[in-house]
Amino acid sequence: MHEVSIALSLLEIATGYCKREGYKGIESIKVKIGKASGVLPQALFFAFDAVKAGTIAEKACLTIEEIPISGFCNSCSSNFSVEEAYILFCPRCGDTSFRVETGRELDIYEMEVF
Amino acid sequence: MKIKVVTRIMEANDRIAAENKKFFNEAGVYVINLMSAPGAGKTSLIERTIKEYQGKLRVGVIEGDIAGTEDAQRIGGLGIPVIQINTGGACHLDANMINEAIVGLYLKDLDLLIIENVGNLVCPAEFKVGEDMKVMLLSVTEGDDKPLKYPLMFQESSALVLNKIDLLPYTNVDIGKIKKNSLSLNPTLKIFEVSCKTGEGIGEWAEWLQSLVR
Ligand SMILES: Nc1nc2c(ncn2[C@@H]2O[C@H](COP(=O)(O)OP(=O)(O)OP(=O)(O)O)[C@@H](O)[C@H]2O)c(=O)[nH]1
Ligand SMILES: [Mg+2]
Ligand SMILES: [Zn+2]
Ligand SMILES: [Zn+2]
Repeated sequence: MHEVSIALSLLEIATGYCKREGYKGIESIKVKIGKASGVLPQALFFAFDAVKAGTIAEKACLTIEEIPISGFCNSCSSNFSVEEAYILFCPRCGDTSFRVETGRELDIYEMEVF
Repeated sequence: MKIKVVTRIMEANDRIAAENKKFFNEAGVYVINLMSAPGAGKTSLIERTIKEYQGKLRVGVIEGDIAGTEDAQRIGGLGIPVIQINTGGACHLDANMINEAIVGLYLKDLDLLIIENVGNLVCPAEFKVGEDMKVMLLSVTEGDDKPLKYPLMFQESSALVLNKIDLLPYTNVDIGKIKKNSLSLNPTLKIFEVSCKTGEGIGEWAEWLQSLVR
């Protein structure tokens, strides 16, 4: 629902970086979005297209890598990974004593600049 | 040219939130971020809580709404310092909005600051504003499927206030199911059952919150 705010922060971080480092434009931005981050890729694409107009990222294309929820279960000592946006029980043994390690990401990890 | 720039997108917000938090700590004010769906009873709970603390704690309120000043007027009517933020369409409060709003509050005169977030079950949970804890309100009439449909807010909150329990006889809601699923999402969640209409359960909630403030 707040993908516009996310897109604005993304744009601010990317253009701020270029200004500091002396680049003139951005060709592409790659981001990692966790399945449990609450951000919908389609909505983020749409919002990013709307906010990039008139900036040095005007022609930039956005690539989104979705990260599933994964973690480690203390009860059965195994690693797991699921496609859902949340997890209540270890998918192997059903226990609740696990820790989630990925799935909440909202990160920029690469840009192409000129 | 390709460059690696590993940066959290929320970094800008989190940085300002940390600044706010430092500011609150220095002023000695405890801050809660109160979140719920529209109409669950956030303003009603704030009104009840303020009445409980009369003569005990100095409370201030920040009201976040997309538009309008109705909620701030309700709180202002109780003689409490209140700031209204209109987000102008944004579905949540962010750290920057709070940073600008607190200029209008004399924090040193407060023990507790309650921030009423925009009515929305999804994204207020994503944006830190500098609070000491997040509190979520769910009215029982919203249904017992909510924890599993909107897990993030249940996971991020320290306390869950189940409101409108006076309406339980008129619904088919299974309050045990709400509690069970909320706790499996967040085993340390503190749960209160209240009615802002009858006042039931308010005392217990207010006592617990006061124990954190001081
Ligand atoms: N029956 C009953 N009604 C309640 C209770 N608490 C609040 N209400 C009613 O629910 C409606 C919404 O309450 P508010 O306190 O304005 O809710 P809110 O969460 O602040 O709403 P927004 O700020 O618009 O998101 C009002 O008509 C309240 O009188 C309760 O415990 N029982
Ligand atoms: Mg309200
Ligand atoms: Zn939002
Ligand atoms: Zn297991």
